[in-house]
Amino acid sequence: MTGGKLKDESVRTIIRAEDDWEPIGPTPMPSVTDLRNWDLRLLDTYEPFYAPFCDLCCLCTYGKCDLTADRKGACGLNMASQQARMILLKCLMGTAAHGAHARHMIDFLIEKHGPEHPIDLGGQVNVESPIIRTVLGLKPRTLADLRKAVEYVEGEVIHLLSATHTGQEGDHRDFESKAFHAGMIDHVALEAADIAQIVGFGYPTSVADTPLVEIGWGAIDKTKPVIVVIGHNAITSNAIVDYLKEKGLYDQVEVAGICCTALDVTRYASFAKVVGPLSQQRFFLKTGIADVIVTDEQCVLTDIPELAKQTGSALIACSDKICYGLPNCSEEETEAVLARVLEQGEGVLLLEPKKAAEVAVKAALALAPRRDKSLLTAEEAAKLAAKCRGACEMCNQVCPNLLTVSAAVNAMRQGDAGPIGALFLRCIGCGACEQACPHHIPVQRLMQAGAVQEKYKLRSGRGPIHDVEIRKVGSPIVLGTIPGVVLFAGCSNFPEDIDDVAWLAEELARRKYIVTLSGCSAMAAAMHKDAEGKTIYEKYTPEFDAGCIVNVGSCVANAHVVGAAIKIANIFACLPNRANFELMADYILNRVGACGVVWGPYSQKALTIGTGAVRWGIPVVLGPHGSKYSRLFMSKKEHGDWRVMDGRTQQLVDTAEPTPEHMMIAVESKERALMTIIKQCFRRNDTPPGRAIKLNSYISVAKQVLNSLPDDLQNFVRTERDIPIVYKREVLAYLKEVGWQPKPTLSLPTVIGTYQTRVPIEATIKELPKK
Amino acid sequence: MAAEVLTTPYYRVNVLTGTRAARVVDDPAEAAKIIAGAKNPLYVLGPDAVRLSAGDKLLIDYALDIAASRDIPICATAHVKRKLVEYGKKADSTYDIIEIVHFLKMPEWKGVRGQGQHDLVLFSGVRCDLAERGLSTLKHFAPHLRTFAICRRGHPNADYTVPVTARGDRWIEYLQGLVAALG
Repeated sequence: MTGGKLKDESVRTIIRAEDDWEPIGPTPMPSVTDLRNWDLRLLDTYEPFYAPFCDLCCLCTYGKCDLTADRKGACGLNMASQQARMILLKCLMGTAAHGAHARHMIDFLIEKHGPEHPIDLGGQVNVESPIIRTVLGLKPRTLADLRKAVEYVEGEVIHLLSATHTGQEGDHRDFESKAFHAGMIDHVALEAADIAQIVGFGYPTSVADTPLVEIGWGAIDKTKPVIVVIGHNAITSNAIVDYLKEKGLYDQVEVAGICCTALDVTRYASFAKVVGPLSQQRFFLKTGIADVIVTDEQCVLTDIPELAKQTGSALIACSDKICYGLPNCSEEETEAVLARVLEQGEGVLLLEPKKAAEVAVKAALALAPRRDKSLLTAEEAAKLAAKCRGACEMCNQVCPNLLTVSAAVNAMRQGDAGPIGALFLRCIGCGACEQACPHHIPVQRLMQAGAVQEKYKLRSGRGPIHDVEIRKVGSPIVLGTIPGVVLFAGCSNFPEDIDDVAWLAEELARRKYIVTLSGCSAMAAAMHKDAEGKTIYEKYTPEFDAGCIVNVGSCVANAHVVGAAIKIANIFACLPNRANFELMADYILNRVGACGVVWGPYSQKALTIGTGAVRWGIPVVLGPHGSKYSRLFMSKKEHGDWRVMDGRTQQLVDTAEPTPEHMMIAVESKERALMTIIKQCFRRNDTPPGRAIKLNSYISVAKQVLNSLPDDLQNFVRTERDIPIVYKREVLAYLKEVGWQPKPTLSLPTVIGTYQTRVPIEATIKELPKK
Repeated sequence: MAAEVLTTPYYRVNVLTGTRAARVVDDPAEAAKIIAGAKNPLYVLGPDAVRLSAGDKLLIDYALDIAASRDIPICATAHVKRKLVEYGKKADSTYDIIEIVHFLKMPEWKGVRGQGQHDLVLFSGVRCDLAERGLSTLKHFAPHLRTFAICRRGHPNADYTVPVTARGDRWIEYLQGLVAALG
């Protein structure tokens, strides 16, 4: 049991209560139930929507229990509670993955630089860790302080995981509250991990114009020895870069990455390249272009030893999270390890980064001249596809992305590589089609004959949003005249073409939204060129400003976009953030038009990040695969209760407007996604000119997508002043037709005061002393 | 003999992991009876209805014929409304797929025409994995209504489903038979 005086004293010590940078708010280092009332208030408006993936519970030996419809399991859980329990479990997987990543990174860097290594993010970033400041109440000065943040995460995870045991929590809303907690502490871990690697490895910070780097499997020079690094933890990848620089070999060996390690290694060395997002992992490894495969952690294929054997690539696993059954050679001499790799063809586990780097480089140099890296020709591909008649459709039936694989393979059989090339752009890379094929046709190898060997430009990740940028955009964002801040995060489980993210990002940027990207979404957005051959990173300014496009970095850098929303409340609105979660989240929910988008969701980590975003008051839009997470947060739209407090008059006001409309929704098409993202950036605080700008975007996109005005326009027009001038006549006629009535416009909407909280409503307007 | 149920649809990602599976409605005449017997049905159309053809027509053309036969209101999800506008037709609702499912699970909801909650919901053209999730929601949380997946790929979580129909000509026959039976 936590709590009480002992905990208070311990907390005060950890956060250095005597530091007077801000007064300590009501929830320093919140435990599982400290923010429960906030969560339940959110859930009153945004009900959990469950779409069970499985009707059974198989977690204990009372079962299997059938929970169909109104049945209960032997323990008493019903379907809703079981769904919420599984959501909590999945979120904890994500939190644990990021938390362990952060812990490893920080411990490694403390060993390298010492615990007192300072947190200095450059002259443009003074509020260095808005999430840690808000959640813990700690202003971290050193790597040791970041370790405190991760220790807090670790402690909370135990309590949350405990609640998923049989015979513990029984209410679906309380499970969701705990999932919110998992999401929030996940963000603490993300922030700690990225700050640690920025200060520990010297990644770019306080710079917007980071280098443009090459991305695309066509960017990899296979005439050189090639080392491919895969995963999310770039410690070993950076050691490889160091070794290459030390030996003067950096222009003789290709270092290319897949997934977030790729993004982080390009923050360390712009000569490193990015193969692409995780969806291209299996395809690329099957090409055999990699002489050496170096795996770290998260989103790494679990059958890489088999793939490496097939292609003759060497395999070095570098994380205790993924040992693959390989011998741990960390204590062996480098030459002995090389002998295993080169002479015996063994994969090895090397947990010592410098040794792994040396082995990787030496192995690549030795192996490259011996290996045949030629790709499959169209003629060879046609022969391999010869047994396909396109009739059994087994490949189609097992494709989790519902692709018509058989038609592409059958076309390949006839020598037409076009369809298999198009399939490559939609393939999520699971390989299920190959397993199902009765003729064992290697579908992903066939793609070598059709996939365009293109290379593109990606701007490397820039880390935190600058305080000066926040000062510039804070006012227009809160007033609504910058129509929104959109973050494209997450994985590459895209429903359609890989370049749909680029389309969405550009549609928003040209409408003057601030567009930010991270992780595999940031990579995918680079994989489209316009008629002039330019990617969005070459066309748009990399600043946190209207109409600009920013790659913040890898998955852990998602923290900086949430951090930017907090900074708007803290720096622009001068509200204290120290241990003040509810105040910050309430501000974001009501006044910061931010929206997260995960167009290709697949991982538990992405679910956790999204769930955390919701607790912060940031709505999330998911691609259709997101429905498989089995939980969304939906309002009753115009039928819901949209009463909030007016912070100035302290009166309850029925705004009658559903903003933000939903907190987590999955949508089917990119066109509808665009409409939904724009709508999710509406906020009650929008001024009439700001709302008019937002409605202008909403109406223009509706006309593009639906060829009509939006059918719910009346929900978002509060007064005639909200109507964009260009559509005024048409909108007024429509509003008359549907019987629209004006709605109140609030300058200080807040849900503080509508539920039991220790935050006084006066706090929503209390300003920090201006320094 | 017990009616056939569907546990393994065309797309394996939608395989049933449960005990209550959709009843397969092989005969379009029986499908027509189910539809005709509904007091307040709804037809939910997804974007594949305007993308996929069935012979020389689009799937939406058959869906609109089915809806017209019994004045069934239409919920046009995603960007389906664009096609309806092109056809000069009106959707009764443009709630997106998750939104309409959310409302369908509320017994007190008044339906897209304000005439009360629907008792039978037809689905066509919604991406199959997403549709299956929505059907799962309704199977577990909407005991007040029944669902019918008019989709050749089959949906185990619906109450009624078209059988998995690999051949395009059989699918067209089914749709034509259904439209004819509804009269």
